[in-house]
Amino acid sequence: MHTTTQGVTTPTDFTTFMRNYQNMVYSTAVRLIGNETQAEDIAQEVFLKAHQHWDNLKGSPTAGGWLKTVATNLSINHVQRYKKRWSFFSDLVHKGDEGEEKEVEFAAPDTFFSGMDSGERRVWIERALEKLPEHQRVPLVLFHFEDLPYEDIAKKLGVSLSKVKTDILRAREALAKILLRSGASHEKFQA
Amino acid sequence: MKKLTEKELEQFVHAALRSLPDRKAPGTLEARVLAAVERQAAIAWWHKGWAYWPSAVRAAFLAVATAVSGAIVFAAYAMFAGLDTAAVMTDVSERFAGVTQLFTLLQALVDLCRAFLAGIPPLWLYGGLAMVGALYASLFGLGAFAYRTLYRTP
Repeated sequence: MHTTTQGVTTPTDFTTFMRNYQNMVYSTAVRLIGNETQAEDIAQEVFLKAHQHWDNLKGSPTAGGWLKTVATNLSINHVQRYKKRWSFFSDLVHKGDEGEEKEVEFAAPDTFFSGMDSGERRVWIERALEKLPEHQRVPLVLFHFEDLPYEDIAKKLGVSLSKVKTDILRAREALAKILLRSGASHEKFQA
Repeated sequence: MKKLTEKELEQFVHAALRSLPDRKAPGTLEARVLAAVERQAAIAWWHKGWAYWPSAVRAAFLAVATAVSGAIVFAAYAMFAGLDTAAVMTDVSERFAGVTQLFTLLQALVDLCRAFLAGIPPLWLYGGLAMVGALYASLFGLGAFAYRTLYRTP
């Protein structure tokens, strides 16, 4: 048992459980929300919920999946509070973007990150992700990190399927452009 | 420049993103969660939502709620079915004779207060009310001033 400052005991298992999963939960939240402070708040909320359901979660092989789902849903709820503003700007910019498969002009992928070590490269990708506007970052993260299909993302975000596809495409283009700059000039990331 | 199709772009971005390891959670997270758990544990169960009530209390609450609901439904049905309400009222008044006496006592107290207030000149009454209002406003202002100057000033 772990004894806290006021003498309340928390199962050691829960502390270990939290240590095992905190990076995953925090990563999920911070990549969706794009803000470290808010992501920490969300991660705290996730573990509080886990503590409330501890009897069912301890020893469960699906505990990791449960945590990831809760972290994703809480992060989306957090983001959805600004949904009106998000939809407005997103629709304004991307109306009529749908169409056939387009070709995007970029440097060949193998020239990305040339001359960068892997640690530096990770920081670049994370920062590039953070720089994306919310209406692009959220569906992109749900697609590439959470493996959700377009239809499920549209349902979760309450937007049309075509909008999700367009936003994800634009997010990939924007991300690739930022990464291209990193590979080409090896410049410092501008916040 | 090489031209990427949308599919190639998707694959490239997917590979780049999936190569990322988990981000390290802030060192403060664990302490924050444990402190929040502690705070929650300190709150009594009756101040929390239904999900936090002990099973026995939840079962008792359900039993009582069911009994009350059943009694209400039965009473409504009996009244609509033409129950002898006079007999019921007699029965009820017999059973609650103590309550009736208490009600009579309260009624007498109210009458006494009314007689006392009627004897006070209206000017005194309004003056008294104004003074109570002024005292309340003064205390409120004094409290606000003390809060701003003594508590909020570091």
